[in-house]
Amino acid sequence: MLYFSFTLVVFAILLTACVNEEKVKYTRYFTDGAQLYKTNCQNCHGVNGEGLAQLIPPITDTVFLRKNRNQLACIVTYGLAETIRINGQTYNFKMPGNTNLAPIDLAKLLTFVTNSFGNKLGIYDVNEIENHLIKCR
Amino acid sequence: MTLNLKTFFLIILCAVLISCSSSKEKLPIYGEREAIKKMVNGVEVTDTLYQTIPNFSFLNQDSVIINSDSLKNKIYVADFFFTSCPSICPIMKKQMLRVYDSFKGNPEIKFLSHTIDPKHDSIPVLKNFSNKLGINSKQWYFLFGDKVTVYNLAKSAYMSTSYEDKAAPGGIVHSGYFLLVDKNKRIRGAYDGTDEGQVTQLIDDMQVLLNEYQTK
Repeated sequence: MLYFSFTLVVFAILLTACVNEEKVKYTRYFTDGAQLYKTNCQNCHGVNGEGLAQLIPPITDTVFLRKNRNQLACIVTYGLAETIRINGQTYNFKMPGNTNLAPIDLAKLLTFVTNSFGNKLGIYDVNEIENHLIKCR
Repeated sequence: MTLNLKTFFLIILCAVLISCSSSKEKLPIYGEREAIKKMVNGVEVTDTLYQTIPNFSFLNQDSVIINSDSLKNKIYVADFFFTSCPSICPIMKKQMLRVYDSFKGNPEIKFLSHTIDPKHDSIPVLKNFSNKLGINSKQWYFLFGDKVTVYNLAKSAYMSTSYEDKAAPGGIVHSGYFLLVDKNKRIRGAYDGTDEGQVTQLIDDMQVLLNEYQTK
């Protein structure tokens, strides 16, 4: 009986440690991502992700972000030339690429973007980003 | 006695108010200046000749010629940009939009945005850009002109820089200043178009400049 409760306690400790590690990783990605957003994205998309008139789309459309989760790394890296619809508005001005960003930066940046401005889509992992990047058109 | 004291304070108050309203705030005049001598009614007097924006002629987003005559009796704000600029332009446009909104529909105020990338920013591109920005093309002109002419105008007249550099984001370096020009084509202020505080100062200064002309 004593042995059993001991195992249970150890198990519980391990579990919290794991959860905490995930949480710490998320917080780290989010914080670094905020800095990356500031240097690479904020000029155009704004402090609150609000964009600019009908020229630059806001990044507050959670449905769009969720639907295009696999495309976001490619869009940030290589830019976007096609017309998109965000919050029911059409945007067709070309977005320039940011080829300077490494996969780890993209993971952090997208973790920040997809969990800010009213979005809540969870963490991006480096492996996930690398898989998405392979499939860029 | 009390009445006299009251009257006295009232007079003082009036005097203060009058002196305040008569000493109007004025903006400085920028640029080179020289003293010239001229004859007025047979008497030689010294006058100051200020640097002014030379005459120019560009096409706007509606393919209408905009020159010094179109800006006669107007106060205007000028800046230099290009539509595909990824660095400071979006902030500048956001701030300029704020200034535009403060003076929307004011017949004395115009806005001039010179493109420094005429190869890409053709008139249809500028038209589309101005439509998407949601502004009135009768008050805010997006001006298309020969690159060398625009670069020279920026450098000599507006003391603003713009030049090509392959290493810069978007390929062109340019300063993000908003230049305030009065009805006599003199520069009365330069403001960092990426700095919200300075742009608020511009809005205040434009009001001061408008008041200068009202007293005349």
